[in-house]
Amino acid sequence: MNTNLKISNVTKIYPGCVANDNVSLEFNSGKIYALLGENGAGKSTLVKILSGVIIPDEGKIYLNENNLNLNSPSDAKKNDIGMVFQHFNLFETLSVFENLIIDSDEQRESLREKIDLIMKKYNFPIDLDIPVLNLSAGQKQKVEIIRCLIRNPKVLIMDEPTSVLTEQETSELFLSLKKFSEEGILIIYITHKLKEVMQLCDEVAVMRRGKLVSVSEIKNENIESLANKMVGQNLKTIKKKKAKTSSDQLIKITNLNFTSEDPFETNLMDINFSVNRGECLGIAGISGNGQSELFQVLSGEIISEKKSIEFNNNYIGDLNPQERREYLMAFSPEDRLEQAAIPQMKIFENVALNNFKSSNFFNNGLINENKIKEHSKKIISDFNVNTDNIELKSQFLSGGNLQKLIIGRELITSPDLLICFNPTWGLDVGAINYIHETLIKINEQNKSIILISTDTDELLKLSDKISVIHKGKLSKIMNAEEVTSEKLGILMGGAN
Amino acid sequence: MIKIVKRDQPSKAIFFFTPVLAIFLTLVAGGLIFFILGFKPFEALKFFFIIPIADKYGFSELLLKATPLCLIAIGLSFCFKSNNWNIGAEGQLTFGAIVSGGVALLFYEQEGFYILPIVILAGAIGGMLYASIPAILKTYFNTNEILVSLMLVYVSKLILDYLVVGPWSNPEGFNFPETRQFSDSAKLPLLFEGLRIHAGIFLALAAVVISWFVFYKTYLGFQMKVSGFSLKTAKYAGYKGKKMIILVFLISGACAGLAGVGEITGPIGQLHREISPDYGFTAIIVAFLGRLHPVGIIFASLVVAITYLGAETAQIFMQIPKYTGQVFQGMILFFLLASDYLLFFKIKFIGSKK
Ligand SMILES: Nc1ncnc2c1ncn2[C@@H]1O[C@H](COP(=O)(O)OP(=O)(O)OP(=O)(O)O)[C@@H](O)[C@H]1O
Ligand SMILES: [Mg+2]
Repeated sequence: MNTNLKISNVTKIYPGCVANDNVSLEFNSGKIYALLGENGAGKSTLVKILSGVIIPDEGKIYLNENNLNLNSPSDAKKNDIGMVFQHFNLFETLSVFENLIIDSDEQRESLREKIDLIMKKYNFPIDLDIPVLNLSAGQKQKVEIIRCLIRNPKVLIMDEPTSVLTEQETSELFLSLKKFSEEGILIIYITHKLKEVMQLCDEVAVMRRGKLVSVSEIKNENIESLANKMVGQNLKTIKKKKAKTSSDQLIKITNLNFTSEDPFETNLMDINFSVNRGECLGIAGISGNGQSELFQVLSGEIISEKKSIEFNNNYIGDLNPQERREYLMAFSPEDRLEQAAIPQMKIFENVALNNFKSSNFFNNGLINENKIKEHSKKIISDFNVNTDNIELKSQFLSGGNLQKLIIGRELITSPDLLICFNPTWGLDVGAINYIHETLIKINEQNKSIILISTDTDELLKLSDKISVIHKGKLSKIMNAEEVTSEKLGILMGGAN
Repeated sequence: MIKIVKRDQPSKAIFFFTPVLAIFLTLVAGGLIFFILGFKPFEALKFFFIIPIADKYGFSELLLKATPLCLIAIGLSFCFKSNNWNIGAEGQLTFGAIVSGGVALLFYEQEGFYILPIVILAGAIGGMLYASIPAILKTYFNTNEILVSLMLVYVSKLILDYLVVGPWSNPEGFNFPETRQFSDSAKLPLLFEGLRIHAGIFLALAAVVISWFVFYKTYLGFQMKVSGFSLKTAKYAGYKGKKMIILVFLISGACAGLAGVGEITGPIGQLHREISPDYGFTAIIVAFLGRLHPVGIIFASLVVAITYLGAETAQIFMQIPKYTGQVFQGMILFFLLASDYLLFFKIKFIGSKK
């Protein structure tokens, strides 16, 4: 059966910003649609309207000519519209299985069979009985996808589903999506990765500042034309100049081990590496292979033996993040909504989370609000966060803008070493360009970076040296010039 | 047609309006209950909420009851804001009273300006010690603070019982379960001749000001706020999460202990079995009714204090059991939770047009 979904003159206005401005669009099953746009263009808002999470100020939605009244997510579910959100909606302490069945009234046993079938069919191997908090971001995303599939949806909306998947996982997902599409499910796909759009989609709609600016067929487009449509101007491509390698060592990790009490975390085994000044060390790997543990050990959220980390000739293994910041380290974690920021707090309060003694945010134990606000305004303008209201709760920033705020917060302090984990997850091409530029600039200023990323392109573009993490072990450290993405792929899979 | 719609963003006005709505609904429901019991609802409500505070004496009694409620609730707000569920304030109050009472008894024959401060300090320390038990068990042994703090309430009451019946009972007291009267130097001064309101109210007001300052102006308050929202973020920022947990318990224990001191060195003047009509539990309601905000807590403590007084007058004039006071407290909490629904949803009235 054919499915036809029509969005008609939808408008959604927030105080200070028109998120959707009279948008009309039509979709038919059998095709995969891409929805593109810069950070804050209004893509998530539009699909949240389709899934009943946000109620538009004006406009109607029709599914097969029926006007839908979508007042809540359950209305959307009833009408067979499924959605995978940009930010995870899972109960961290419940098991995967419990998360999957929580809003279903089918019997547990039959559901379990159904889930097993889905996992086999689309190749999503996940242990159903472990708590979600032990899953990597990539695995959580899969749980979300499975949750939609259980309901046999007519329409499946995905808001940046591949941000955390590896190339391998992504191409597996694409196979599944193509299969869904052949099976008659209408697919709307939001992404910032233009390569994916070219690979996967049939039609593409581009939004800019709340307005729909173009709808076209993929066969008439290429990556550059799409990028230009999104940003409304030509993007320059950036490239890292090969730095003259310095031999001035900044950080050295020696025999670092981490054994977790939690059986679902990855143990780190015998980690050894060093980074010189002005260098970027890239760490590749499939998500869930110990990256988040490595990040936490490096940031001081997990304390290790004092001598296992030597930074600038000081042993700092036993220091907490706050104390490490004083040595000019900065950290940008992967999970910005749950860890790097507090969504319920205002923008400027979130800025104060990264605080050096010298930044004077807190004097004699008192909050120095003016200083923090001044600093926040600088971050917002330097890093193009699209709001001018630093009193806004950070949950109302679009995904990409929140990431800009956090990266900005860490970079503006001009640290000697920046440790970042998937720094461009969810950013639009313009913003990615900007962050990449900034990272390159950091290296040019003779400062160092440890870049943990699941995006191989990003790693190859920015790193001087690359290592691969697999099951908590690092491969030998390679010069970036000698590495190809194929070679990385093989190492990420665990081969030697 | 009526429709319930999700709010995009909870509004600030609604946040402070729902407690008022809850109080209003409590009055309506209370009137209804009185009506069912065969009383004239308005008259009964008048006995309950107006008569008790209509004169100077009544007003002083109101402040007298509101003082411990306010003090404890301020302390609890530190815990609740940072997601630590200390519900054992009653035990911390009792233990604070025991320690300060013990110290006051040591000085029972002496006079001197230095006695009262020592007694007060002893109460605060007693409360802190008692609150440190659930805090330490929670941080180092992963126990649930709700259970531990609650069970410790009963332990403290039994200790008090044992002391006033046994070792500390008044030698000239004909075996009544009570201690000697404290000396005047160990008592909080009365503020007005003939009224029971005492200097403890200043402790409560100081707690309000200090907690406002700490919450909104200090780094410590900021760290508590962050830890309350997310321990993960607190860890990332480098705050010492465990210390923070212990600290909020200590603050809240100190406040409860001080409330205990206020009771025994104020209106009571000795230790006996019933030093608190469950102020420590009722203060939980006060804290939430006041939205964990220092100023809100002042108002909430006054409102809830009336239910104590009203229950007494109603018992005398209308022969209603004084437990109706607790019924009203329960209803306030119930309606508060119910009207909090409005924080996240709004009710839309939709005309019949299609
Ligand atoms: N509740 C809200 N209050 C105020 N502004 C909001 C609210 N929700 C969203 N916005 C604003 O609406 C705009 C559109 O946001 P939306 O999340 O739809 O962007 P997006 O296209 O999905 O961006 P991204 O690629 O970064 O995820 C943004 O500027 C955002 O700041
Ligand atoms: Mg979005």
